[in-house]
Amino acid sequence: MNLTREQVAALAAAVELDIPEPDLDGVTIRVSALLSAMKAIEDELGADMDAVDPVPPIFPREDF
Amino acid sequence: MTNDIALMSAAEQGQLIRTRALSPVELVRACLDRIERHDPILRAYITVCADSALEQARQAEREIAAGQYRGPLHGIPFGVKDQLCTRGIRTTLGSRIMADYVPDRDATAIVRLKAAGAILIGKENLHEFGKGGTHVFPYGQPRNPWNIEHNPAGSSSGSGIAVACGFSSGSLGEDTGGSIRSPAAANGVVGMRPTFGRVSRHGGVMYGWTADTIGPITRSVEDNALFLQTIAGHDAEDPLSSTRPVPDYVSEMRGGVRGLRLAVVREMTWPDGVSPEVRSAMERAIVVLRELGAIISEISLKLAKHAVPLLMLTSDSDIASMMLKRWLRTRWNDFDTGTRSRLAAGCLIPAAVYHRAMRARVLVRREILDALAGCDALLSPTNLNPPGRIDAARETVGSAGDMQNKVLLRRISTYPFSMANVPAIAVPAGQSARGLPISLQIAAKPFDESCALRVAYAYEQATPWHQRHPDLTAIEADAKRLTRSNP
Repeated sequence: MNLTREQVAALAAAVELDIPEPDLDGVTIRVSALLSAMKAIEDELGADMDAVDPVPPIFPREDF
Repeated sequence: MTNDIALMSAAEQGQLIRTRALSPVELVRACLDRIERHDPILRAYITVCADSALEQARQAEREIAAGQYRGPLHGIPFGVKDQLCTRGIRTTLGSRIMADYVPDRDATAIVRLKAAGAILIGKENLHEFGKGGTHVFPYGQPRNPWNIEHNPAGSSSGSGIAVACGFSSGSLGEDTGGSIRSPAAANGVVGMRPTFGRVSRHGGVMYGWTADTIGPITRSVEDNALFLQTIAGHDAEDPLSSTRPVPDYVSEMRGGVRGLRLAVVREMTWPDGVSPEVRSAMERAIVVLRELGAIISEISLKLAKHAVPLLMLTSDSDIASMMLKRWLRTRWNDFDTGTRSRLAAGCLIPAAVYHRAMRARVLVRREILDALAGCDALLSPTNLNPPGRIDAARETVGSAGDMQNKVLLRRISTYPFSMANVPAIAVPAGQSARGLPISLQIAAKPFDESCALRVAYAYEQATPWHQRHPDLTAIEADAKRLTRSNP
């Protein structure tokens, strides 16, 4: 997934964040890479992901 | 045993202090002398608490002389990553934004160390806000004491340097993805990420609420057990801390590995990008553990490769959500460029993606827990490469390839255990041809820190690596040479 700089700037504007021009490329690359990675994970694990709850991995009440 | 009191293990120092063969004042002065002489180059510390440390040392000396010995950490100097609050002492988080923040309380882990008689000697340098990827450190560039042109890793950079150099006898670090283990590995010392919930997070500035942990960095495995023993246990101030009893780590550490089933994680040990020197060190470590009686196998964790992006998609977003409101919108230019780019990316992950990533995390974690159900501990290198040069290690992201190689791949050996929230310890396991440390990582079942310590201790006692220390006499000459070549 290759987002454009304009798309990333618009995403940022939606959360009232103004990313200065010199930093926009770096942020665009990072967001694109993370969303691409998630797409690949969905392709591989999507059906299994549907079958679990997104419970944070914290342990106070679990038994091992 | 070394004759240099500052480089002895905390356990050795403690024995001498208990029998009054060593004064806490003498020990603290030895550490302060080293800091004064070498830290202008290494930059392990942001704040040194010389006066208060000496006062605490004098108090410890009086107490011990009066027969009020508190235990093995009485009179032992420690440092903390400057991410943990200290009452009356500024807590910068390695950021210009927090330069004037002076908390009115100590973090719980610090309270417990002080109650055990340990002496706070200073606040240690770190990647900004405990995030990896800082380009320019506002409180000085931390340097690897084994070679000052090389990276000490992070984000608990100063905590690893300080322990390696005898600036303190132990440190508290914080680990979200590998921030205790990685600098411990790079500086040739021992670092433990405990199970989430084992050590109170209270008083740490920690917004990665599903993965942040506080743990010890020390010069020996026994010291690590001593520090963990002191800081572990339930804390009403941290609702996610566990009520489980804390075992006797030092006793359980000595059980040996004969008959233990240890599995080498294929994807975290032999992936593309692992250096030949780390590969060789791992092969030798496996031989050592097998000779000690462990039953070694190899296991595949096919989902481990997803741990790095999943933690960044979720934990980075958790942290960014706090930063956005407080500072990111208004103080963008006060952040380091690496930090702000990473945090901004975290701000822009859609909620629907975040929640799908949390579901995927459950699957990655389940695979690791299933693997641990079939063995006692998992093995891998802590870092895939010996510490790189400082300039090369900077996470400058100018292309998708940079993101893959500089940001994602290099974290593959530590993030999976963070994601599973299992205990994992880094222990020295060799040196590269250039004399830079290589480290073995041992992960165990949730709340089975004893097993990780047991394997680490057996390995440590069978190998010489923990007895080696960086040559600080060479540092000044190296620094002069660097200054001449980069005036």
